[in-house]
Amino acid sequence: MTIKIIEVLITGLLMGGLYALVAVGLSLQYGVARILNISHGEFIMLGGLTTWALYTALGVNPLLSLAICGPVAFILGFVIHRTLFKRLLASSASPAIFESNSMLAAFGLMFILQNIALLIWGPEIRGYSYLVIPVHFLGTLFGANRLLTFGLALVIGLGFYLFLSLTRTGKAIRAAAQDPPTAGLMGVNINNVLALCFGLGAAMAGIAGVLISMCYPVHGVMGLEYTIIAIIVVVLGGLGSIPGSFIGGFILGLIGSVVTFFEPGLALVAYYVIFILLLLVRPTGILGR
Amino acid sequence: MLEVQDLKTFYGKIQVLWGVSLQVQEGEIVAIVGPNGAGKTTLLNSILGLVRPTSGSVTFLGRRIDGLPSYAIAEQGISVVPESGRVFPDMNVRENLEMGAYYAWERRKEALAYVYQLFPRLKERERQLARTLSGGERQMLAIARALMSRPRLCLFDEPSYGLAPLMVREIFEIVQKIREQGVTVLLVEQNVRRALEIADRAYVLENGRICMEGECTELLESDHIRRAYLGM
Repeated sequence: MTIKIIEVLITGLLMGGLYALVAVGLSLQYGVARILNISHGEFIMLGGLTTWALYTALGVNPLLSLAICGPVAFILGFVIHRTLFKRLLASSASPAIFESNSMLAAFGLMFILQNIALLIWGPEIRGYSYLVIPVHFLGTLFGANRLLTFGLALVIGLGFYLFLSLTRTGKAIRAAAQDPPTAGLMGVNINNVLALCFGLGAAMAGIAGVLISMCYPVHGVMGLEYTIIAIIVVVLGGLGSIPGSFIGGFILGLIGSVVTFFEPGLALVAYYVIFILLLLVRPTGILGR
Repeated sequence: MLEVQDLKTFYGKIQVLWGVSLQVQEGEIVAIVGPNGAGKTTLLNSILGLVRPTSGSVTFLGRRIDGLPSYAIAEQGISVVPESGRVFPDMNVRENLEMGAYYAWERRKEALAYVYQLFPRLKERERQLARTLSGGERQMLAIARALMSRPRLCLFDEPSYGLAPLMVREIFEIVQKIREQGVTVLLVEQNVRRALEIADRAYVLENGRICMEGECTELLESDHIRRAYLGM
């Protein structure tokens, strides 16, 4: 029994690490660029399917795919912001109008990316096995791939936290999140920072997609589920807080794992219940202000 | 140093500035005073590139800067202490100061030493989040942040707004000290008496037009100023 409990808890934490990474990307896009990016999950899907295609067709190691999908997703995100969202921002009369317009545009983007993926890869569920080596841990068994993805999610999250805390660009991003006009008066080119944030968010999603594909099957319409999870985690942890995203991710992962243990079909339902309760009780999130 | 020529600015369809012209010479403290809603902040925002003037020109050190985005104007050597400070609340004092040196990043260590020597109290609170500072300390942080880039010209938007009288006096002393350091000052103020006491020259802005200008000593004597602003 105790072993079963440990197993459920660890499964939750492992899942939570991935959730956190997915959420950090969205938190950046919504917290700084003010875009509630409904197409966030599509970048995850693209990362996952690309990794699958590279692995099965060319035998490319998924770890190498990280170095491909991250930068490609970044460029894609950066260009999308430069061409689409920058114009929307310029033509929106107020920040509130931009928020609703950009969300609708992201909805459109979701359908475009999803259908491109369906045209290329079709609707089939794809999977490959990578590092499915059992590892013994406290009397339980876990795949080495799960532990690896968890470790990578933590390292990437920590690296990103340090980037925001210590570097000149990181500080400019935080300043732009707190007060865009004043950051501009300090000499920060706001349009560049916003595009950078959107690109970095897309890169995080692409990377998360690669990691997810190492452990779970992927398919063309998997994106929205992850978008919703990311939104819940961001609200749970507090918008714009990376430690918050990790706390939120772990909490949601644990809840998902416990619920799945009793009734696998109810995990997503449980997430929604948590989401609604949260909005009623503490809409600013755990670490939010 | 700074020359504003016949500036007209609209907010939507409402015209706020109706042809404002002014000049600031190197080493001066120039004040812009006037009642609420006269367009003082709009004038500053037009100079800083936060709103785009419909016509007229702004020239700084011989170069046209109107129409440039605000980050490019900052890079020319113009700093600002915005209304009520506008420090970054969730960054600590040191990070706020570093943002002031954003486009002079390599020199930020020397700049930090310089402003800490001017404001020892900020050095004590280096690691404190800006949101936890008092109103006066925030204003001081905003001034220090504006000095981090070693600007040629510093704009102040209502620096005394919402501060206790003792703090107001301290802030105005700091403004004078900054001029002694070789920074030219353009000061927008509602506290007309104080502003005219420390400035060399002043412009009186009413209903979006400059209605008076001159040496502060003369303005302090004028009937209009005494009646409308000094309550005499």
